[in-house]
Formats: sequence, structure tokens, C-alpha cells
Amino acid sequence: MKGGFEVVHATLDMIQPHHEPIWDFASVGFPTTSTVSSNPRQTVENSCINLERNELSEWVEQVTKQLIDDLPADTGTDDRTSLQEVEASMVCEDNFAPSQLGDFWPRKTVRRSFLDGSFGAELQWGNDLGNQTNVDVCENGGNDRGLDEQGLSLLTLLLECAVAISVDNLGEAHRMLLELTQMSSPYAPSCAERVVAYFAKAMSSRVINSWLGICSPLINYKSVHFAFQAFNNVSPFIKFAHFTSNQAILEAFYSRNRVHIIDLDIMQGLQWPALFHILATRIEGPPHVMMTGMGSSMELLVETGKQLSNFAKRLGLSFEFHPIAKKFGEIDITMVQVRRGETLAIHWLQHSLYDATGPDWKVLRLFEQLAPRVITLVEQDLSHSGSFLDRFVGSLHYYSTMFDSLGAYLPADDPNRHRIEHCLFYREINNILAIGGPARSGEDKFKHWRSELARNCFLQVPMSSNSMAQAQLILNMFPPAHGYSLVQGDGTLKLGWKDTSLLTASAWTSHASG
Amino acid sequence: MKLSSAKVPKESKGASPSYGGHSNNSKRRIISHTILPFQQADQLDQWSSVAAVDMHHNNTNTNTNNHHHPQPQNSHTSTSRSSDYSAGGGGGGSEPCATGNKWASRLLRECARAISDKDSSKIHHLLWMLNELASPYGDCDQKLASYFLQALFCKATESGQRCYKTLTSVAEKGNSFDSARKLILKFQEVSPWTTFGHVAANGAILEALDGETKLHIIDISNTLCTQWPTLLEALATRNDETPHLKLTVVVTANIVRSVMKEISQRMEKFARLMGVPFEFNVISGLNHLGELTKEGLGVSDDEAIAVNCIGALRRVAVEERGAVIQMFQSLRPKVVTVVEEEADFSSTRYDFVSCFEECLRFYTLYFEMLEESFNPTSNEKLMLERECSRSIVRILACDNEEDNGDGGECERRERGSQWSDRLKEAFSPVGFSDDVVDDVKALLKRYKAGWALMQPHQDEIGLYLTWKEEPAVWASAWKP
Repeated sequence: MKGGFEVVHATLDMIQPHHEPIWDFASVGFPTTSTVSSNPRQTVENSCINLERNELSEWVEQVTKQLIDDLPADTGTDDRTSLQEVEASMVCEDNFAPSQLGDFWPRKTVRRSFLDGSFGAELQWGNDLGNQTNVDVCENGGNDRGLDEQGLSLLTLLLECAVAISVDNLGEAHRMLLELTQMSSPYAPSCAERVVAYFAKAMSSRVINSWLGICSPLINYKSVHFAFQAFNNVSPFIKFAHFTSNQAILEAFYSRNRVHIIDLDIMQGLQWPALFHILATRIEGPPHVMMTGMGSSMELLVETGKQLSNFAKRLGLSFEFHPIAKKFGEIDITMVQVRRGETLAIHWLQHSLYDATGPDWKVLRLFEQLAPRVITLVEQDLSHSGSFLDRFVGSLHYYSTMFDSLGAYLPADDPNRHRIEHCLFYREINNILAIGGPARSGEDKFKHWRSELARNCFLQVPMSSNSMAQAQLILNMFPPAHGYSLVQGDGTLKLGWKDTSLLTASAWTSHASG
Repeated sequence: MKLSSAKVPKESKGASPSYGGHSNNSKRRIISHTILPFQQADQLDQWSSVAAVDMHHNNTNTNTNNHHHPQPQNSHTSTSRSSDYSAGGGGGGSEPCATGNKWASRLLRECARAISDKDSSKIHHLLWMLNELASPYGDCDQKLASYFLQALFCKATESGQRCYKTLTSVAEKGNSFDSARKLILKFQEVSPWTTFGHVAANGAILEALDGETKLHIIDISNTLCTQWPTLLEALATRNDETPHLKLTVVVTANIVRSVMKEISQRMEKFARLMGVPFEFNVISGLNHLGELTKEGLGVSDDEAIAVNCIGALRRVAVEERGAVIQMFQSLRPKVVTVVEEEADFSSTRYDFVSCFEECLRFYTLYFEMLEESFNPTSNEKLMLERECSRSIVRILACDNEEDNGDGGECERRERGSQWSDRLKEAFSPVGFSDDVVDDVKALLKRYKAGWALMQPHQDEIGLYLTWKEEPAVWASAWKP
């Protein structure tokens, strides 16, 4: 496994911090020049009309709100349909009866044709024979990325399925999932259909592990890392996280000669070469760098460490690497080996692929004990806490947006797009829906790390204008730049797609740090 | 379908899934939901490290077959909840899975054996692993894991029949002439799986009916008549007078019935174009082939009959196959062509493990073939895989329920040698002429490497299409 240390990063020279003691200021709320306007909550009916303009994610947002509002409060056990009825419904002819979503229901499902542009070459069935049905017409005319009737009906069924799961009606859910998984394809031109395909699979996985009573993930890290790299190449989110964090760390390390970075889930360490480069060439001279890399596999950590060491050596940077193959929330302070005089930075790029850090409250406690000079936190705007339905709705909205952003950039049959969607997004969706959640993991996740830090001995350090500039530069690298939205507010930087914020970068310092 | 709060009866804590052992309501239970507290990974360490070690060994090319070495992998931390799984290759689906290390096959076979041994704890653990690793959108191993897991799950929850019905009804709903046509044409474009049988059968039919003026072909297949245009062309270009062709298509798969109308229109048009006097009939609505009669087929005495069975006999209930062959005999055909996929789900049907292993072997071959023939993100490939998934559920999770009058969808394949034994009761084998063999070889050249023709030695009958040297499809011809 080779790390991808292309020095693409070198083109983005990090901006040296000024002498301004940014770090001595208390957190100041920046005026919000947010472009994130809150969507007027249209009725579901109106949303149909606006489908061309709005995207999948917006529709999801509107409908799921309505769905939650309509959810029956009482899920009592008295109201049991007889088993015959449930059984009959498994072979139900009329699978598309009106649902609780009221007036909004598409007509019977549109007949599908699998149009991939290529037609069989055989003369016998060629188009010159006989009547033509509307074979050649793409289902949606030009808007084949967006929401079509088929996509809508699938999504609606998906939502109903989620409700069934949330009320523990696994039999019904299973039946609906059999349908959904047969009807949706992850290779479809429509983002909605792709999203449904993966969500349905995640829920199927959940049904099975609920039945088994075992919930523990098995992760193919190589596949994940591979997909991560592919994602990094086509989408700005990871670079945004890396560069804004690196900038904040650089600023915190100003004039410090011995520095220590703890990366809570280092993976292949793609982030660090860029920082090393700047540290090695900074005006006040390079510091000695100690890096503690955490992850799940010692083998992979050692490999990453080697790559980083080699790179540092080439830069003439004094460097040490300390791998810890454990979760941050499961170690104690003695394992971390912070030496006297070291300036400590903790970096956490959160993701939903697997639980990288262990119990949240322990993580927080260790943060407090370590009292780092800076914690750079990049959070997904996605909550892992709450009920199944909460997580379902939240992640449906989040990933619909993610799929939209990829779909705007990559063609339907692009194998890289498939790899990212399957090995990255789907992994996360599966982890959130099938593995995650307090009932399964036995612990409660914090809803929002920024709030937790703010509440507990940490001061926010506003992301500097330099960080913002970095982020802007990155965005300019990725077409279609106009789709991504970069917002600075409350001292944080948010990167999203259209009106939906997806990733938030922030920096924090411990009250007790020097 | 209202959002009822119908609850599934909750199984008591600690109960294990039923596989033939019955609790009172097991027949009616759709899914049993255990409210076990979720198990920590520590208890599962042994299994995950076992599998991980197996995969690891595979990577390093040792010969451990089904041996478990319960040493923890050195990179596995015991307090970690997630387990490290370092199988090679990405799950991206864009890499040919012929290089995969077959972890799915190992896990699945272990699981089948555990089921047969009724080792509940092992079953649970293996199903858990399969569930975590499987994906119908990943590489071959992940796909096989996913579809076989589905079947095993249905079996364990005794919902096989219902699952199968739901799956097929959904598939039928989504079917249309356009989609079906597109699917089969694309498949024929990238793989000789079906065209092999067509070319061989057409060759045999043309030779047997040479010189006849009134032809009646009874076509029992589900390949949407893609076989016949070439034959019509051949008839049209014969030196002597173009014979009259009556084509009676007997449809057995529900999914095909709905599209026959369009197909008949096209066939008639094509025949007119070719200048072949043509009559086209469709017989659908049979519950099973045994119901066919001479009168029902519209066979008259002055016709030269050919009976063409492509993937048809396997859909006949095992006990009725002899009778169907007798019925063919009563039609007094000049030639009978039989094409079948080379697998044996019939003699193994009372032995779960053997049947499972054969099923796994066959579908592994098929899935790998699909993976190498199509693009990674092909919807057609996905549709074909789903078709397989329905068959897999049918074969593995619908225990002996094939005689329920639902007919048509039994998929108990038999090997060429087994079919030959049956057919010999009523017919004698006819070898394929050199011309036909040449035609088949020419056909195979049009496709990617990996395909070959295997001709019979000694007592064998028919021709085999092989994929990576494994016999995949068998074609044969018979005379009275």
C-alpha cells in the first residue's frame, strides 16, 4: 500500500501567520455572512413542481419533515395485523397503495428501460423493424440526474420502510426491502435511485443483524483507503479539511520549536506532507515534530509512519512517529507520551465509516487532560445520536447531497464514482443505519462536538482569514465550483453543496494550555 | 399497505434460529426478532480472526483448505470493536474478480456445513460475517456473499417461498419488452452463453429438416425468439424453394409471457421481410410442460417437427421429466435439440450441503463470467445477477415446494450426462456435423478470450461451451 504523497499540495503554499496574537484573543463571533438561507418549508405538493430546480436533497428535506410530523405517536402492541394479512401483503399485487404522505403519490410506477446508450447490434431486433415504442427517450429528458417519478416512488417506499424499522416491524420492512433492492440500481443515472439502492441495502443489513443480535462491523481498510483517495481526487471535502486544519495548526505552532501532533485516525496520513513542507521551510526555522498516529491496524500505521518519515527526511525535518493501534477513547494519558515543552495539536477529521475513537465522553476527558494548544476538528453535519429514524432522516439528507455533488461532476458509468459511492458513502450509510445508534453500541454519541467543546474547558479559536483563503483556493480546483458553497460563520468554516452544509472545520484551544 | 404497527412476535432471548427444528409458529413467522443485547466483538474475535487468518493465508498462497488456525492476527487489537479484514483487492467492483481470493466461497461453505450440523452459534457467527462483508454492488466475492446470504437468511427464517414470490413479482412488474430485449441483446453481445446453444441447435435443426417443405418448430425457451432470425435467414437463402415455417413458442417463465405479444409482431414482420411463409403461435398459461399435447400444440401429420428446448427441461419438476420426454416422443419429431446449463441441482436436492456447494460452484462461475464480460457499472449485468439471486433463493430456501402448482419456476438443473440418460429412453443422439462445429467455433471467436468448445469424447453426447475450461453450457441433438 503506497501512500499518495503526490506533492499536489505544494501548489497551495500555506500562508504564513502574521505576528498577530490570534491565539491570545478570546473567541469572537464573526458576523455571519452566511449564504445558507433556510428553505421555506413548502408543502410536499409544491415540491413536485419545483423538482427541476431543487434537487434530491431538498425534496428529501421537505418530505421527511412531513413524514416525521405525521408519524403515529402510538405504536402500541394491541393493534396487530393478523399474520395472514401480513403474509398476504408480502405478495401484494397492489404494491403502491397511497401512503401517509397524502396527496403526494406518483401514478403507478413508470416502466423502466435500462438505457445505457448501447443497443444490441442484431439486425433482427433493430430499430428499423416495426413500430417503435419510446425506447430511445431518456426517462427524464435532460434532467436525468435529478428527481423523476421512479426516483420519487422509490424514495417514498424507502421512507416507509424506515418507519417500519423504527417501530420494529421487521417483517414488513423486510418485504419492502426485497422490493426496494430489486427495483433500484446503484448505476442508475438518477441520484435518487442510487441513494435508495444503498440505503435499502444498509437497512437489509440491519434487518439481518437485528435478527442475529450481533452488531459489529468488519471493515476492509484497504478498500476504504482506496476509495478515500479516489474521493480526494474528485471532491474538495477532504482537501478542505486538510488545508484548513493545517493552517490552524500552523498558526498554533507559531514560534514553537517542539511540536506534537496527535491524529486520531491517521489512515494513510495524506494530510501531513503539506504541513511538513511548510514547517520545514518556515521563517523561524523548522521545529522538531513528533506525530502520534492512531488507527485500527498496527500494520497500516507502521506503513504510514514509514512513508511520513521518509518524506520528512527528504525535507530535512526532524521527525518521530509513534503509532497507537487503539481508539483514542480507550487509551489513557500515559500512552500518548507528550513530553515537556512540546506544543500539542490534536487533529480529528470525523467520518462515519467506523467508530474511530470510542466512547465520546472518554475522548472529551482525555482532551481535557492533555490540554492541547489546538484541537482541529472537522465534523460532518450529520448526527450519530438519536433514534433510528432521526439518524435515517439526517443521513438521507446528508448523503443525498453528497450523491448530488458527485453526480454533477461524474458520469453515471464512471467506475471511480461507483467506487466512491460504494466503498465510502455506502460504508458510512451502513455504519450509521446498521451498526450505529445507542441501542446497538450501548453508548450515546454527542450530537455536536463543537457544542461539547464549547461547554467544557475549551475556547474556540476562530478560523483565520488565511484558512478561508486556503479553502477558497481549494474550491477553485474543483469544477463545478459554483455548486459548492463555502461559508464562514461563528468562527467556523463550512463547506457544502448548494444550500446544504456538509463539513464544518473549527479550531479549539484548551483554557489550560500555554 | 398501511403503516401498520403489526408486530412480529418477538422471539425469546437466546433462542436460536430454526432450521427445520420447529417451534409452533415457525411456519407463520416471517422474521423473528431477537432482543438480545448486542454482543461485543470480543466474543466474536475468534471467528473474525479465523476468517481473517484464512484470507491472509489465501493471500500468501498456502494450502490450508478448511483448517482453522485460531491465532489472532497480529494487527488485531482485542479491545477494538471493529475487526481488521485485510482481504486483497478493493470492493470497487471495477477489478476483475477472477483474481479475488474467494473468501466468500469459504465462508459460505462453512456456513452451509454449520447449518447441516445445526451448529447454531457457528451459524450465527458466519452469517454475521457474511452480512458485514457482503454487497450486491461490490466484487464477485461480495456479490456471491450477498445473494447466498439472502438465501440462507430466507431459509433460516423459513420465508423462502414468500421471498421468492415477492422477488419475482417485483421483477415482473419492472419488466417490459424494451427492458427484456435490451437485456438479452446486451448479454448476447458480450457473452456466448445463450448464442452458443442457438447456433448449435439451429445447425442441427436445419440439417435434420433439410428438404422438408412444411416445418413446425416447437420452441420451448425463454430467449425471446432471438434464436430464430438467423434460422429464418438460412431458410430464405436455401437453394430450393423456401419452406413454410410454423413456429410455436411455449413460454414457461412468467417474466416472458408479458412480452410475447410484441415479440410475435416483430417475428412476423421479420419473416415477411425474409420472404418466408410464416405462422407464429404462442402457448403460455401452462402450469407445467407435462400439460402439452399434440392437439394443444397444433401439430399436424404432414409437418416436419423440431422440438427445441433451451433451458426448458430444468424448469420441469424433477419427477415429471420422464413424462415430458415421452410427450416429445409422441409428437414424432425429426429432431429434438436440448440446451442446458451444466450444473446438478437435481440429484443433490435432498442433501443440503451438496446442493449448496454445487450451487455455489455454478454461480461462482456464472458471476465471474458476467464480471469479465460486462462493464463494471452495467445495469444489464445487475439484472442478470438478480435473476440468479432469485434462482438461488428458489433452490436453497424453498424446500421441496416445487410441486405446488406454481410450476414453471423450478430451476433444478442437471448435467448433460444426466439429461442424456433421460433422453436416451426415447431418442438417439445425433452428433453435430463439422459444419455446425465450425459455426460454433466462429461464433466463439467473436467474444473475449476465455471461451472454448469442448467436443465429446467416447460416450459423451453433445457439445460443451466452456468458460475458463469449466463446462458451462451443454448442447445436444436427438432423433427418434
